[in-house]
Formats: sequence, C-alpha cells, structure tokens
Amino acid sequence: MSLFEIPLGPQHPALKEPIRFIFKLDGEIVVGAEPRLGYVHRGVEKLAETRTFIQDVYLAERICGICSAAHTTCFVQAVEELLGIEPPPRAKYIRLIVFELNRIQSHLLWLGILAYEMGFDTLFMYIWRDRERVLDVLEMITGNRVLYAINQIGGVRHDIDDKIAAYMRKALSYLRERTKYYKGIVERDPTINARAVEVGILKKRDAIALCAVGPTTRGSGVKFDIRADDPYAALDEVPFNVVVYDTEDVMARTLVRIDEILESISMIEYALDHMPSGDIRVRVPRVVPAGEAVSRVEAPRGELVYYVRSAGGEKPERVKVRTPTLANIPALCKMLEGAYVADIPVIVASIDPCLACMDRAIFVDVSKEKVWVWSERELRRYSLRWYRSREGVRRR
Amino acid sequence: MSVLEYLMVLVKTLIYPGVIFVIILSLIYEWVDRKVYARMQNRIGPFYVGPSGFLQPFADFLKLLSKEDIVPPHVDYHVFTLSPIITLYLVLLAMFLIPTGAWNEPYAILAFEGDYILALALTTFITIFSFFAGWSSVNRFGVIGAMRALYQMISYEISMFLCAAAVALDTRTLCLSRMAEVQASGLWYILLHPLGFVVFILSMQAELDKVPFDTPEAKTEIVGGWLTEISGKKLAFFRLASDIKLFFCASLATTLYLAGPWGPLGPNILWFLAKVTFVIILVTTLRAAFARFRIDQVLAVFWKYAIPLSLVQVLIALFIPH
Amino acid sequence: MSVIKELLKNLFTKPITLKYPQERKPPAERFRGRVYVDYDKCIGCGLCARDCPASAIEMVVIEPEKGIRGRRPLIDLSRCIFCGQCELSCPRKAIKFIHEYELATSDKKSLLLIPPKPKGSQKP
Repeated sequence: MSLFEIPLGPQHPALKEPIRFIFKLDGEIVVGAEPRLGYVHRGVEKLAETRTFIQDVYLAERICGICSAAHTTCFVQAVEELLGIEPPPRAKYIRLIVFELNRIQSHLLWLGILAYEMGFDTLFMYIWRDRERVLDVLEMITGNRVLYAINQIGGVRHDIDDKIAAYMRKALSYLRERTKYYKGIVERDPTINARAVEVGILKKRDAIALCAVGPTTRGSGVKFDIRADDPYAALDEVPFNVVVYDTEDVMARTLVRIDEILESISMIEYALDHMPSGDIRVRVPRVVPAGEAVSRVEAPRGELVYYVRSAGGEKPERVKVRTPTLANIPALCKMLEGAYVADIPVIVASIDPCLACMDRAIFVDVSKEKVWVWSERELRRYSLRWYRSREGVRRR
Repeated sequence: MSVLEYLMVLVKTLIYPGVIFVIILSLIYEWVDRKVYARMQNRIGPFYVGPSGFLQPFADFLKLLSKEDIVPPHVDYHVFTLSPIITLYLVLLAMFLIPTGAWNEPYAILAFEGDYILALALTTFITIFSFFAGWSSVNRFGVIGAMRALYQMISYEISMFLCAAAVALDTRTLCLSRMAEVQASGLWYILLHPLGFVVFILSMQAELDKVPFDTPEAKTEIVGGWLTEISGKKLAFFRLASDIKLFFCASLATTLYLAGPWGPLGPNILWFLAKVTFVIILVTTLRAAFARFRIDQVLAVFWKYAIPLSLVQVLIALFIPH
Repeated sequence: MSVIKELLKNLFTKPITLKYPQERKPPAERFRGRVYVDYDKCIGCGLCARDCPASAIEMVVIEPEKGIRGRRPLIDLSRCIFCGQCELSCPRKAIKFIHEYELATSDKKSLLLIPPKPKGSQKP
C-alpha cells in the first residue's frame, strides 16, 4: 500500500491552536510526523525590550493565558534577582498558592480536553464544571479568572484574608473528592483504558535524549521537577512529593497530572496553615541595575525558563523565554511514530501543547533535533539569501 | 376498493403513521436525545426555540435547508448529490415496515412475510450510501471516514442480524408485525433473550454512529469523517435521515424485544411511543457513559465478544424454543 | 460504571449552566471591570499613563494655565487590558476598577473616558 499523506492543521478541531503536522500514513498507522510551527508568532520578546519592567509583567502574563501565574512568577523572580531584593515571606506564600491553584486549573482543563479528544464528552463537561470552582477561588484572591495580575516586582498585589482562606479550603476539599472520583474513572473505564494504555509511548531513554520536560517526562519515569530541584517562592518550606509514573504512555501522563492536582491541593492547604504574617510587598526602584538573570519555574506544562538582561535602565535589554511546549515537540514527534490516526489527537493532547506561548523568535529543525535563535541581522541576511535564491530559480 | 379506502391508504402513507408523522416524531426524538444528554452532563441543552427548546431540531433543519448548496470541484457529482436523497428515502421506507399501532391496527403499513429481511437489508444500504457520500466527496477525511464506516459495518451488522435471527427462529415468522404480536400473548423477548437484547443495543449504537462507536465521524480525529464535505441542504437531509434512523433502530428494537405496540391497556400507539422513548434514552445513556473506541478496537469488540455472544443466543433459540 | 450513577443522578438535579442574559453571576469583590477615575482627586502627575502597558491612557491638557498640573488622564477602554497597574501607580488613589463588565458596544466613542472641563474655565 502506498503512503498516504494527511495534513493536520493549522486549523483542525482537535487542535485548539494553530500548528501543522504532515503525517505519512500506511493505512491507519503513522510512519512519519513533520511539524510546522510559527503560526501564532507574536514577537513578544522584541516587544518586551520596548517596554518598562513594570509593563513587561503584564506582557509576560499574556504569553500564555492558562499558565499566566507561571510566566509572571518567573519573570518577576528574574527581575528581583537583578534588583537584588527579596520579596517578603508572606508574599512568597501567596505566590505559591496562586501558582498551585493555577496548576490545578490548568491540569483540570487539560484532563477535560483529553476526555473530549477521546470522545468522552460527559467527563469533559463534568471536569470543566468543577474547574469553575478553582477559577472562582482565583477570582476571589486576584480579581480575575485568567489574567491574575497578582505578581508584582517586589511582592504580590493582594493579600489572602480569613474569609477567602475559608472559602478556599471548602473549594479545595470538594475538588479533592472530585479529583479522586475522576482518577477512579480514568483508571477503571474500559474505553479510556483502551485509548490511553500503551498509546504514545515515550521511552525513558528518549525522554532524556529529547529533553522532554514536565509531566511528559515524569510519565516516562524521569524524576525531574524544578519545584524539587531548584525551589522557588516558598517551595523550600512546603513539603510535597514529585509524582512519577513509569509506564511511559498517555495513561502515565494522565495519572501524573491527576496526582499532581491532589499534591497541589495538599500543598495549598499546608501553605494556608503555615503562612507567616507581615507585609506582602516591598517598594522597588523603577531603574534596574545592569546585569543578567535566569529564572526557572515548574509551569503546569514543565520547565519554564526566563532570561532577562538589563543595561541599567527602566527597560530590559533582552528577554528570552523558553516555554515547556517547545521542549516537548521533538518528544511528541517521537511518540507519534507508529501510532494510529485515531490516536493522533490523544497523543498531541497528552503533552498539553500551548502553542501560542511556543511561537517566538525561535527556529526549530526537528529532523536534526536542533534549536537555534537568530538575531535580527542574521534573520535579515537569511531572508536576503532566500529571496536571491528564489529569484535565481525564476530567472532560470 | 372504494374512494374512501384509497384516501385512507394515502393518509396512512403520507400523514399518519407515514412520512409526516415519522419526520416530526424523529425530530422530536432528536430533541429528547439532546435534552437528556445535556441534563446528564448537568447542562441545559436546547433552550431558546419553543418551550424548553422543543423546536430546536426543526429550526436547525430549516436553517440548513436555507444554506447555499455547495458542490466542491472534483467530486462525483451524481453520487454526491443523490446519496442524501436516497438515504432519506431508504430510512423512510424502512419505517413503513414497523408496526406502530396507529389506528389500532396490529400490522404495519407494509407488512408481509419476509419484511424482516427487507428491514435488515435497508439498514445495510443506508450505511453503504453514507460510504458513497464520503467516498465521492474526494476529501482525505471523507475517504477515511467512509472506509471506517464500511470496516465497522462488517462487524456490527453480523451480531445485529444474528440477534434478530434468534428472535425470528423463536417466533417462527419472518414478519416484523407478527413477531410483535407473538410477544403480546406471551413474555416479551427482552426477558426471554436478555443476551440478544444487550448485544442488539450495542450493535445498534454502532449502526447509529454513536459513542463509543462513532469512529466514522469522529470529529476530533478526522474532522467530520464522511460528512466533512457535506453542507447545506445535503447535510440537512443526512441529519434528518440519521434522526429517522435513530427512530427506526429504536422501533426495531421495540418490535423485536419489547412486543412493539402491544401493551396491557390503553391505545397501542402510546405504548409504542413509550417503549421507543425508553430505548432512545438507553442509547443516550450509553452515549454519555463512554469514550470513543479506535476502529481496530471496534472490530475487536464485535468479533471477539458481540458475535460469539449472539451466536450463543441463536443456539439457545434453536435448542430451547419457547 | 460509576459514571452512569452520576449521569442518572444529574437527570434530577438542576443544571449548572446560567441562563446568562436572564441570570448573572455577581463578580468577586476584587473584580476588575470598567475603570473609574475620580477627577477631583487627580493631581495630573501622569504616572498612570507612564505605567499603562497598553498605552490606553493619554494625558490631555484641560487647564493650560496650570501647566503640568492641568493635565488629566483620558482613558480609552477599547485599549484597556484591565490589568489594574494604573490603580497601583496612582499616588492619590483616584483610579478604581468597578464591577461593571458588560462593555460591548457598537459606538467606539462611548468607550472613551474623557476628563470633564473644570467649571470656571468655560469661555463665553
């Protein structure tokens, strides 16, 4: 049977954001996957250079709507390192609580999407209904459901008072019950098992070689979590377990995320009990001294890296973001080889792709497993070369 | 035959319990299906058109009819445009074979010895025409969906037909109306053939392209499957046909296992409608409770479990007649 | 099969969906909706315009004789991203975010918050 090429995307119902794959099919089996990225490139990094540090906090938040707390925490930490200041302890706890609530929200959203990709609409509706409770809590704390704007350079904007804490505890205990219930469904339901067990295998060896991050790599038995390896915010005071499953399939990645929700709930409850009192914000100068800083956090999708360089002014000289989805794309292509067409959406969903945050001034050549960044000059030179060679073709 | 009798035949075929009755009722059953599905998921469901969204399927149908009729280039024009009409015709024809109990008559509009075979053959034809629609649309997703529809057909039809054959063996007739009548005097076949009923409902789920067996039109995998290129009036006809198919399959299950229109007291048509509603809610519950199987898993489910179980049912019917 | 139990249970409970135009969910206390500027408190320092990430705030001169103190913020709500930075930057707490969130309109001009002219300055 000859190979059949099937395009997936840039627009496809299984993908919430534009990315294009070309699959080579042998019947219903994928023999090759070729991604094409960059449909939602927004020039965020360049834009960040033209704005002040204060404004960049809001820009960073808008790189990704789902993990907005991760982006601001990471950026703010980098700037605080440049300034040489330490936020007050209470602010660190509040950052942690918002961050973990954000993770719960993101994982629940993802779990719903996975159920939807499998055609299990009921589970999708139930999970998204319960996710509203987390959003309500976040709205109470921060004043918004998606873009929290709570992290400021030097601390946080809002405090968590007793009324909110009480409401939060109630919502969290409800969520714990529900999450355990969903875990039971995922583990026992025959149709979910048929679609998730031994599907989208990513061997431990490959996960390390292809630099996969986050739940994707933890589902392959690699114990890699920035929260444990390089604690930030109040993480060095809050105990938690790194969830690792080693069956290397979609089911493992699902269970990692479900267990992380439960883990996050306990972390938040612990943080609420042990929160120190005091200020939530220190005053910071507007001008940031020259220097450079790197900050890492464990976003819901994996390791998020910010690099910020300041030349000693109100504006950064360079901001570089490495989002987790980008790191997971080579691993995704590996998982897709040998899969069924019907499994493509489930496997693509299993890395929890967030494409808008991925597309920036980065060039990926997946076939060579090589990632590079071009400066503006190099990019210009490349474009000139490209046009010249095309003109040459036309003349001939 | 007098003029009045001719008129009566006309009324029966066109209005009640014929074409118009069937179309209106299947649109109402689509509403039942959607509403129950929504309520099971803690949603409201259809809500705006008519009292509690009752007229939503009618509105959808009319809206699709008013849309532009698009025929993409390179499609096989005749097959592509005729398949929705023929599908609609076939499902309507199939409905004539079902004893509904209208006018308190025990027999269907078209009732003869062997109509059971015609009814099962029509279900096959309906699937084949959905294959034609997908295949002729020359769309990658359409072709894959069409292939899946055929793959799936060669599995669920066998178990479905075997279960139905067990009922025919037991009732010693090949007339659907007679089968229902036989059950009216004795026990319903849902009690005598519980295994057959379960397998029949499962196969029906695949026949109707519902979760967990909706692989031919799995929207997150292959966009719309064989329906991808179908739009406007053609989509309206296909959707109406699939609603009638739901009604037909539910009434087939009612006829075979729930004694059709027969009940202890009250008008027969009400008994018939109540039983059909029960079967449709059963289908909706199954649809809500599962995820979608992959095409190879669909085949495995039927060939490994459903077909052997239906064979067992046939053997039981052969050796332990009631 | 525990799903089926929940499915049947939900048949008899009230749906969770809000019938939005008829029913509205009250926003949380800290909710950031439409911007409200108390122009009496404003001293025209321009910090809000300087910090606004979306360039939604422009300082317009309404009392030229007062020089830099005679400016007031003109806020374009169609550019506003509701981040609340201006509320933080304002030294006189003149800017507040109120709970109004239904801002969709067909008239773009109605989304401009134009500072009022001071009472004494109207020329004959």
